[in-house]
Amino acid sequence: TCKEQAKPNLSSASDKKIVLLPCKNPPSRDRVLLWLQAKKQYENLQKWG
Amino acid sequence: MTTITRQDLNFGQVVADILCEFLEVAIHLILYVREVYPSGIFQKRKKYNVPVQMSCHPELNQYIQDTLHCIKPLIEKNDAEKVVVVIMDKEHHPVERFVFEISQPPLLSISSDALLSHVEQLLRAFILKISVCDAVLNNNPPGCSFTVLVHTRDAATRNMEKVQVIKDFPWIVADEQEVHMQEPRLIPLKTMTSDIVKMQLYVEERAQKT
Repeated sequence: TCKEQAKPNLSSASDKKIVLLPCKNPPSRDRVLLWLQAKKQYENLQKWG
Repeated sequence: MTTITRQDLNFGQVVADILCEFLEVAIHLILYVREVYPSGIFQKRKKYNVPVQMSCHPELNQYIQDTLHCIKPLIEKNDAEKVVVVIMDKEHHPVERFVFEISQPPLLSISSDALLSHVEQLLRAFILKISVCDAVLNNNPPGCSFTVLVHTRDAATRNMEKVQVIKDFPWIVADEQEVHMQEPRLIPLKTMTSDIVKMQLYVEERAQKT
């Protein structure tokens, strides 16, 4: 019947395929580049200090 | 030969451990090979008896670990159909998608300890393929970033919620533009079939990257 057809199939609805991704972004390339420059500076200071 | 089910001996956990360890190495290597981050943050290590490049940037390493920590319960219950490493341009449109398609048999036949060594050999072949994949891919535009997608079922997300780290590392349903790429070029990289897991890796590359 129409009523029956209108009923959502809860079992399949809760089992539908989905694609997830993290809300958080990984560190940006620029941020990583800054970290790398600071690391190199620190290592140079350690070497000569 | 002993045949056991996924429930016995917590074998799902063993498979998830093996796959997550592999995915961690694979993600680091993809980021290095595809130049998502400066090469200076990567150090040469040995995994699966082959040289690989692993990041030494603490925040990036933590991000990859947290991502895999959340995916692990899905793999454990055989609920992660695909894990996809997406490389995006500055406008956050995907330029490359490294698709790891995973399937696990419901029954596991374990013959001996040689099994794990066999799996290691198969995973090594994936690592070697990733390390040379730049030869078959076009250069990416500057300023790319990445994300990790997991293809699962709605009901399976309950398993994810049990993980403590999810509170500080929440997940959302991906938009269509993050999932699909228009007319991608498909590059198969590697397929493996073992007693505990079947996996194939292919790359979807956007035709026009710039």
